[in-house]
Amino acid sequence: MGKYLLRRILQMIPVVLGATLLVYALVFALPGDPVKAMFGDKPVNEAVAAQIRAEYNLDKPFIIQYLLFLKNALTLDFGNTFAGQPVIDEIARAFPVTIRLGIMAFCFEAIFGIIFGIISGLNKGKWYDTVILLISLLLISVPTFVTGFAGQYFLGVEWSIIPVTAGSDPGFFDLLFPAMVLGSVSMAYIIRLARSEISSNIAEDYVRTARAKGMSNGSVMVRHVLRNSLIPVVTYLGQDLGALMGGAMISEQIFNIHGVGFLTYQSILKGEGNLVVSIVTLLLLIFVICNLLVDLLYAALDPRIRYA
Amino acid sequence: MKKKALAFAAAACSLAMLLGGCGSSNNAANNTANGGKMIITAGDSEPQNPLVPTNTNETGGGVVIDLLFSRLVSFDAKGNAQNEVAESITPNSDASQYTIKLKSGWKFTDGTPVTSESFTKAWSYGANAKNAQKSSSFFSTIKGFDELQNADKLKGDEQLSGLTVKDDTTFVVDLNQPDATFPIKVGYSAFAPLPESFYKDPKAFGENPVGNGPYKFESWDHNKTIKIVKNDDYKGNDAAKNDGITFKIYTDDDAQYADVQSGNLNVMQSVPASATKTFEKNKKLQAYNKAGSVSQTFTIPSNLEHFDVTTEEGQLRRQAISKAINREQLTDKVLNGIGTPAVDFTSPLIPGYSDSLKGVDNLKFDAAAAKELWAKADKISKYDGQLTFAYNADGGAKPIYDAIVNQLKNNLGIDVATNPMPTFQEFRNAVTERQIKGAFRTGWQPDYPSAENFLYQLYDSAAADGKGSNDGDYKNKEFDALMTKAYAATSTEDANKIYQQAQEILLNDLPSIPLYYSNAVAVASLNVEGLELNWQNVPMYENITLKSE
Repeated sequence: MGKYLLRRILQMIPVVLGATLLVYALVFALPGDPVKAMFGDKPVNEAVAAQIRAEYNLDKPFIIQYLLFLKNALTLDFGNTFAGQPVIDEIARAFPVTIRLGIMAFCFEAIFGIIFGIISGLNKGKWYDTVILLISLLLISVPTFVTGFAGQYFLGVEWSIIPVTAGSDPGFFDLLFPAMVLGSVSMAYIIRLARSEISSNIAEDYVRTARAKGMSNGSVMVRHVLRNSLIPVVTYLGQDLGALMGGAMISEQIFNIHGVGFLTYQSILKGEGNLVVSIVTLLLLIFVICNLLVDLLYAALDPRIRYA
Repeated sequence: MKKKALAFAAAACSLAMLLGGCGSSNNAANNTANGGKMIITAGDSEPQNPLVPTNTNETGGGVVIDLLFSRLVSFDAKGNAQNEVAESITPNSDASQYTIKLKSGWKFTDGTPVTSESFTKAWSYGANAKNAQKSSSFFSTIKGFDELQNADKLKGDEQLSGLTVKDDTTFVVDLNQPDATFPIKVGYSAFAPLPESFYKDPKAFGENPVGNGPYKFESWDHNKTIKIVKNDDYKGNDAAKNDGITFKIYTDDDAQYADVQSGNLNVMQSVPASATKTFEKNKKLQAYNKAGSVSQTFTIPSNLEHFDVTTEEGQLRRQAISKAINREQLTDKVLNGIGTPAVDFTSPLIPGYSDSLKGVDNLKFDAAAAKELWAKADKISKYDGQLTFAYNADGGAKPIYDAIVNQLKNNLGIDVATNPMPTFQEFRNAVTERQIKGAFRTGWQPDYPSAENFLYQLYDSAAADGKGSNDGDYKNKEFDALMTKAYAATSTEDANKIYQQAQEILLNDLPSIPLYYSNAVAVASLNVEGLELNWQNVPMYENITLKSE
């Protein structure tokens, strides 16, 4: 187990290095000159532009820029944004909100997705199974920004049930609806995944055997059916946690949440290589760690899986 | 094993509840409950630079800078300059030297007095390339600017040789050449005075600016809020009628608009594209919509083959294109009434504006005449190429350019197409590198209310070839001569007459083709009054008050 963990963690190093290089190259390859863009459509004072380029190493060739970034990053100095703010401060401001939003969305989709999935899977063909299926179909087919805007307008502006925007210092209730919007599509997928897994596992031989042994219906469900059905659901959830962080952009924009999604979008528009790479690297780490946790959870869910 | 998995899930969920719960849940929507103080909330975007006047060139920070710093002159709602910190600004006979006297008794909010040096040192700092200030070009007309451009040999504290301090309240400005608009230019925010404390630590100052304007800086919580409060020591023209303004940072127009509708936000200084059709009828808010100072044009490079502005063929084609565009239709149907058809090269909010200049017919829709002009040009030299219209696709310009292209196809029967570029950055780069072989979108937001700011910066030869904003490289000796003449005029009225003559040349040559003036639009919640926009299309925040309930 320990050896396995070590191997997985060591594997992360080339993944992170490769990804940073790739992202840095992509930002570098963006058309346009970020320094000229700072002047808008006003005349560019070349002497000033040269100063700014030198300050951000933008006057150096790509590979030197990248190596300088890496060198500084190793000492936890991620440089400054074009606005003169340390990148690390920007990230420290944006990440907590997005993590909070992401975890809330994650809990929402996990709890409601699994509960409704179980209800549906155990009661295939009943009227509420049909209703749950219909709702999940609706959530999958309607884009989140539609759900978000419609909810914001009717629940927020018209009926004042939810806060219209999350504002500068969002609390639990401010983030509740945005998190539901963010998690809604994945919840629908989980419902369908859990439902189909459960309904197929119920018909398996080992379930019949368990029943034949005289186990109670409840423990057959919990110990055999659920445990086996949850493996694909956990895989999906684990990957989704990372995706939620990166995919929070639409919810963040609609509800004015100053998180990672917006920061990434802005920094790409402004061509801020350091900021983009730092954010993406962090998201990548979250993604990789989530995947590792999922793999470890497999072992907990399925005794046949062992890591050495 | 199963227990572990459940415990993990439970831990994750309780963590989420904890994280969710630890933020404060009261959203402080109530604006009046600030200890009896009348604080107005307004939407803004995060400033892209530290809050230093010479380094701020975008609206997010500009709005705040304008309220924190008073310059030599201020502008009334119509764009007319009036003395603010200046007692008098006196030109010499050819307007190449100005003697500026300051009113006494002005103070920065840190208690230090506003003196001649507060201005001269700030301007020199801004001009000095070592300090890499984004608005440095604004000082380029002052003597000594060129000596401050070799950043490698400078320390950053060298002064402009054209600025001479006579005493605490008098200084003299020597310009490279006559400039009658200088007394208006000094109203631009880059010309603000700075206190002595700035030079000790410019970086800290940018986070915590000290000014002399109608408002005093209180706090800047990055990406969240900027708070400014009334400056009780202020003695200028724009004293605040409220006790302060809290700018809430928004990342999205629609979110901001939703907040205004629900009363969470008092003022929003724009209107989202999704609401342009409905905002004036919306009963949940009050709307403002009048012709503004931003001029929207497109430029056909002056030397483009078949469109060369110095040839008769080129002029005919430019006029034909201009006359084939139905501007009323653009502003009514495409912009839903938030634009006003253009009739000149400046804007209705600029002193000296006229809607009846000679040649204004070239901006009026007449499909038959347009066809005739095009046919005449074809007789000189046949043209069957494709004219493309480049624009940045991230700014909502698509519907306009789709409409223009359709109008030209229908009204002139020529081969035209749009050429959208993904981002503003990429688009501007292509423009400044002169890579676009066709027409491209141009627009101008004036920095100070003078026709000079539109005409000289956009059409004078001195601003061509990458030295300014003459992106089409228009060069016309007659036009340049009028610019020079206007600079030497000693009164604004005289200068404005000359600018009108200069515009008549542009109306014939059409180096760029004026389309419309973007309207100044804003919305406010129902509980405030006094919403009015200035010549910069920005609400005059100092006049906004809460209605007494």
